[in-house]
Amino acid sequence: MATADDGRPGERANARWYALGYPLFWLVAVFLAPLALLVVSSFYVNVPGGSYRPGFTLDNYARFLDVSPGSGWPPIEANIYLRQLWLTIEISLVTAVVSLLLGYPIAYYLARMDRPWLRSVLLVTIISSLWVTYVIRAYAWQVILASGGILSSVGVAVGVLAEPRAFYPGYWGLVVGMVYVFLPFMILTLYTSIRNIDAALFEASKNLGAGPTTTFRRVTLPLSKNGIASGTALVFILALGAYVMPRLLGSSAERTLPVLIEAQIMGESNYPFGAAMSIGLIAVVLVFLWLMVRFTDVTAASLGGEQTVEPDGGRPVGGGATDGAWDRIGSVAAAVGLTRLVGRLGAVVGRIDARRRERLLWTASRLYVAAVMTFVAAPLAIIVAVSVTPEQFLTFPPGGISPRWYVEFFTDASWMLAFVNSLGIAAAAAALATTIGGSLAFALDRYGYRWGRLFGTFGVLPILVPPVIVGVAFLIFFLELGLAGSRTAIVVAHGIFYAPFPFILISQGLDELDRTYEEAAMNLGASGTLTIRTITYPLLRANVVSGALFAFILSLNEYIIAWLLSLFLVDTIPIQIFNSLRYGYRPTIAAASVVFIGLTVVVMVAIDRLSGGIWE
Amino acid sequence: MSDIALSGITKRYPGGVLAVDDVDLEIDRGEFVTLVGPSGCGKTTTLRTIAGFERPTAGTVSIGGVDVTDAPPYERSTGMVFQDFALFPHMTVYENVAYGMEVRGDHTDEEIDTRVAETLELVELPGVADRTPDQLSGGQQQRIALARAIAPRPEALLLDEPLASLDKKLREQMQLELRRIQEEVGITTVFVTHNQEEALTLSDRLAVMNEGRIEQVGPPETVYDEPDTRFVADFLGTANLFDGTVAAVEDGYATVGCGDLEIRARHRGEATVGESASVVVRPERFAIDDGRTGGNVFEGTVRFKRHLGSSVEYRVESGNDRELVVVRRSGTDARSVGDRLSLSVDAEDCLIVGA
Repeated sequence: MATADDGRPGERANARWYALGYPLFWLVAVFLAPLALLVVSSFYVNVPGGSYRPGFTLDNYARFLDVSPGSGWPPIEANIYLRQLWLTIEISLVTAVVSLLLGYPIAYYLARMDRPWLRSVLLVTIISSLWVTYVIRAYAWQVILASGGILSSVGVAVGVLAEPRAFYPGYWGLVVGMVYVFLPFMILTLYTSIRNIDAALFEASKNLGAGPTTTFRRVTLPLSKNGIASGTALVFILALGAYVMPRLLGSSAERTLPVLIEAQIMGESNYPFGAAMSIGLIAVVLVFLWLMVRFTDVTAASLGGEQTVEPDGGRPVGGGATDGAWDRIGSVAAAVGLTRLVGRLGAVVGRIDARRRERLLWTASRLYVAAVMTFVAAPLAIIVAVSVTPEQFLTFPPGGISPRWYVEFFTDASWMLAFVNSLGIAAAAAALATTIGGSLAFALDRYGYRWGRLFGTFGVLPILVPPVIVGVAFLIFFLELGLAGSRTAIVVAHGIFYAPFPFILISQGLDELDRTYEEAAMNLGASGTLTIRTITYPLLRANVVSGALFAFILSLNEYIIAWLLSLFLVDTIPIQIFNSLRYGYRPTIAAASVVFIGLTVVVMVAIDRLSGGIWE
Repeated sequence: MSDIALSGITKRYPGGVLAVDDVDLEIDRGEFVTLVGPSGCGKTTTLRTIAGFERPTAGTVSIGGVDVTDAPPYERSTGMVFQDFALFPHMTVYENVAYGMEVRGDHTDEEIDTRVAETLELVELPGVADRTPDQLSGGQQQRIALARAIAPRPEALLLDEPLASLDKKLREQMQLELRRIQEEVGITTVFVTHNQEEALTLSDRLAVMNEGRIEQVGPPETVYDEPDTRFVADFLGTANLFDGTVAAVEDGYATVGCGDLEIRARHRGEATVGESASVVVRPERFAIDDGRTGGNVFEGTVRFKRHLGSSVEYRVESGNDRELVVVRRSGTDARSVGDRLSLSVDAEDCLIVGA
């Protein structure tokens, strides 16, 4: 139906190419060009002292991949970069699996509970924590895990620990932090998937004589397979690219690849080698994506969609035919752990009568939900507590309540400058992201393009590239342009990196928009532009504004890209907090964090209101 | 003088689907014409071509004597009522009704105020101006959609199955309302429906469409009593259809052999011996047990009886798996299931149509 002459608003013979030109300029010329440059510069020759010259050498890759025999056994042990690459993969896998095991029961409970207001509170809590910068959340765990921190103090107080000890930096401290930041992604992905299962199926299963355990094993689990696959894949990919958590919670033994890349760039100024390692990280992500697409139903595009935490999934989750390979992976990755666990639990309570058994299961799951929700919410609550303590250090019990750190925050020139920078960059990046995503969504919706699907993939591609790599690519690109170390550079990078959010939300809105409204307007005499202004835009406003707010909140909280592009010249709040952490834990950091968290929550609630319960 | 003229309208979609096939139709000023046919017959596409949402592959559309084939929808003066009304959800009733005048920009605010008030009065909903569409019932939404369409005083009113989403009682009430308002405003109207009963009730003339073509155009009684084709006879109302071969022809009548029986029927134009033909008999034309023995008489058994309120319908089995539908006014010629009866019908009431 959508031929160029159907008389829909915005349809003119050449308009289709003008409309597409703008987003493609950004997504191809300004996004793919830096990535291409990254590939090229990974073959450049490093000149010690912080510069490089164009050339062609394989030295960078040789250094990264060197497994020359004779230098130790097993070969991988000889090369610190390969060793740390493997560690990166391992930690990411552990994070993904732990998140799945912790997250599934929560997602299930959230999807099946029948108190909408409570669900909404729990979801907003989970979602709000999602957007708070990793820097603040890593800081919260430092406060908890440090020697003399909360965990250790409590441990000593109740006598479990003989003397204070630190739980970070170290492997398990890092895993806890990683699970903490990525669990919400897992929960929301699984939630969407379980929520999409028709509730009548559960009733049908029970009606046919299956108890809760059997229903879960035979109905719920198979139907949420895709959610499990996407959630695990999503967390794995996010964890691979994580910089802040490994940097702030890991010891030198847990330097993951993103940490090593950043060190090469910002510490050693060895751009070619940093580029080569970035290509290595991309390769891992691509291989993983390929495996996933090959063996499961999950597509890269749907994964991009997942990250918007788009509420009730406009995207099909349908558990169509899956390969035997998935079954194998599934049974290893999820089913074994989960079904066995639940199965055993079921066997234990099997002796109790059915009614009481169900009540028991629900009570148990409620306790469990409470525990995980505490895990999700407590760290940020602790930050709030730290911010109002009158002392330099948080003591238990706190010595009172004082606004002094807030006063310090709002009167300190460097904090205020960072704050203003953050707001300005985020606002500009949100505007850019919305115009890119919006125009792409609009063009794809209105016109048929031969390569429409490919263009749509461009729209979600940026978010699939690990941020540390986006940062390195843009840094090299902007160095060439002489723009590195400017707010403009950060705005452009954020604007493109977060364009997928407005793109997905606006596409969704356009999909759901009833075309008849536009026809009615034109029938009443409104021209194409007038129709878009008076009908189309007002009906899409919630999606457009939510998309912009998402981009705003994400840019506001983004650390690594901003840090790489700042070249030490631009300060934002996450950068400022990160830097301050090196000089001890002045509670001003907590005050700054609370202001930031407050801002984030306010914006999230605004998005929720706007879209009339977007999370439902 | 015709107010809307379609000439040779053809619409072929990119996939090759022929939605409308060489349609000619002339509609007079103030006339109410219905396009009726089964889904997929091209009636909606034809209507959308008049509105300008579809550009015909061939043919021309003129409204008020002006060729508008290439004009976009907003440069034509038509008012459309959509199937699901398409009331703008982000505007009040007032804003919806005023929209057409506001976007055209040729009315002062006072004129718009007055016109909106008048139009709401016309559709008998003067008190709802400040409500939003979701605060209205289905019937009210229908009236507001109509008000919005006619408020700018378009040259033509286009209605795309506007009554389809209403329940039966409301639908019948709205049919009368619609006709009253249309006559009061005197606007040329094209109405699209798949509901043959609605088409027969409402229209000055109706055009029966099938597979992209117009099979017959005419006033309801003509189209019902004198169908041109087997399709029209079958689609409008209930018809007993006998398919066979013309056996003999004499001035104005012909005998058609249908397997085990022969029917004498009226024919218009040329019937040739040996050609296949169908005979149409409307169910109310049969006489029951009137003692006739010669001519078109069918012996049969009542197999099924159905009360339709003011009338009763019988399904009568008559020889070789043939089932006849007979309708009588309630209270006359009452029969029960299992009764044997004899049905007769005058040759005058049997009509030959092309097979």
